[in-house]
Amino acid sequence: MRRLVERWRAVLEHPIVRLELRRIRRKRWWPGRRFFLFYPALLGAVLGCGVTVAFGPRPGAQLAALGSGVLGLCMLNSVTSLLAFALAWIVPALTATSLARERELGTLDLLRATLLTERAIVLGKLGGCLARLWPGVLALALLTPFQVVRTTGSILTPYPSALMLALVSGTRWSWAGLALAGVAGALRPWSGLAFHAAVGLFVSTWSRSSGASVAVSYGAIIVTRLGLSLVTSLLGVVLALLPSLEPGLPEAMWNGMLVMPSLVTLAAVLLESAGAALLVWGAIGWLKRT
Amino acid sequence: MATVIETRGLTKRYGRRPAVEGLDLVVEQGTVFGFIGPNGAGKTTTMRVLATLLRPTAGEAWIAGHSVVQERREVRRAIGYMPDFFGLYGDMKVWEYLDFFAACYEIPAEARRGLVDDLLELVDLAHRRDDYVDALSRGMKQRLCLARALAHDPQVLILDEPASGLDPRARVEIRELLRELQAMGKTIFVSSHILSEIEEVCTHVGIIEAGHLVAAGRLEEMRQRVQAQRVVRVGLMRSQPGQVEQAQAWLAGWPDVAHVEPVAGNAAATAEGDLLVTFSGDDETLARLLSEMVGAGFQVVTFREETGDLEDVFLRLTKGVVS
Repeated sequence: MRRLVERWRAVLEHPIVRLELRRIRRKRWWPGRRFFLFYPALLGAVLGCGVTVAFGPRPGAQLAALGSGVLGLCMLNSVTSLLAFALAWIVPALTATSLARERELGTLDLLRATLLTERAIVLGKLGGCLARLWPGVLALALLTPFQVVRTTGSILTPYPSALMLALVSGTRWSWAGLALAGVAGALRPWSGLAFHAAVGLFVSTWSRSSGASVAVSYGAIIVTRLGLSLVTSLLGVVLALLPSLEPGLPEAMWNGMLVMPSLVTLAAVLLESAGAALLVWGAIGWLKRT
Repeated sequence: MATVIETRGLTKRYGRRPAVEGLDLVVEQGTVFGFIGPNGAGKTTTMRVLATLLRPTAGEAWIAGHSVVQERREVRRAIGYMPDFFGLYGDMKVWEYLDFFAACYEIPAEARRGLVDDLLELVDLAHRRDDYVDALSRGMKQRLCLARALAHDPQVLILDEPASGLDPRARVEIRELLRELQAMGKTIFVSSHILSEIEEVCTHVGIIEAGHLVAAGRLEEMRQRVQAQRVVRVGLMRSQPGQVEQAQAWLAGWPDVAHVEPVAGNAAATAEGDLLVTFSGDDETLARLLSEMVGAGFQVVTFREETGDLEDVFLRLTKGVVS
């Protein structure tokens, strides 16, 4: 824990992150501490609603919970999806201009002539861009637990959720499926955000104009997204053909409702995360070479 | 004096095009080394290699004993680099800009506050401490850049065209600052197109053309090298008609005088009857020439040796070739 705190302090002490934070502070975007008082209350209400639906002794109580919770879950679901989508498509506009803009201003050479390593410059710019989006990033972080609730215990879909399936069958595989769905649901918005940010950063490393960098970044993201959709669709088809690991459950139900969506999502998360890491590593390498 | 900057066979090529070829350079501690050459000669490339921003294609360079290829971090600690463009964040305040770069040089936060004030005092910008960088004049921006390059108290300053685009007053201010920094013991490696500026502050000069070092050394040595023969300007009173012509004939009879001609194209000078005497003797012979000239009845008003400025040196040593 202490190491984590030290690490976090080191991130906040990074000159480039500090520079961005100083710029943000000047704009006064901070919503105030009161905002965070609502968060535990909201999270508690939604989790309570989920538990009541799952374990409630009487249908009446479940119905009441449904009546009160559906609206909230609908809203959270929409807000989380919209936020994840918006952030993922806004972040390349910032990262794609980050180093290209420094090059245009002539400050990239100055930064490289200091004691900052190329790695520190690239990661600092990435951190700086995320710092500029902090209200959205923070909101997404706060909504991530709801995302887990949605993906594991969704009561809005026409088929049973992973939570329901686990509760009904109660087997080891179904609980593993539940964990898988939870992890995939929680990570998906973040991996998408990281991948889009990394594409922008990578293009920005070698681009001479920030305008061209933004255009190329969005083009590259659209092309890679199409490729990723193709890969995950093919993976879905392959997974649908696998036999059910759960005795007593039909294959279509097993694959279609629990394993396939979670595995496909997890595969997408892994691909996006690996892509993001590779692109950031490539950006550092490119900056070192030039 | 210890060597602070040294290059051996330094070569940088962009694709097949050579920018710098086999550059051998030595700059000693505490000197102000003027690096001059025509556009495209390889000055900026050399400076960027020394600032660890470019890797040399071949050869090696050392700053304060550290290799610019192997020990980049040590080199960066030893140098303060100022490129030929401002490189400023316009939306930052003056003190924030210096504080940011001081942080990039790993100077602790407690030490930075005092340091920023000292730097602003040095470059005479203390009164603009809380202004935005964008609000500064060109000269002030250049001084701020110089303050940035000094943030970590480097041993060597690499300044690429520091006076470029500045008005005469700002140029004088930069020149004074360079003198002050030299007095502080800094080694300054500076390039400029304005040769008169270089001449006034530099102790040593290196001339580069088409990526090759044409000449390097002390400024005085360079002047002497290009002037194999001395040129003496003799001014005569024109009260006696025909004195200039007589003096020209008299001087031409001296064994050490190679050539005598009246100064052309200057009405004010010819009114006094100036002559340019190309002379190959030593100081003793020159003194005897003056004494005998006066003894021969010529009314000498002025008698001075034309030393030639850096522009002459530059024009004689370069051919106008670029890489």
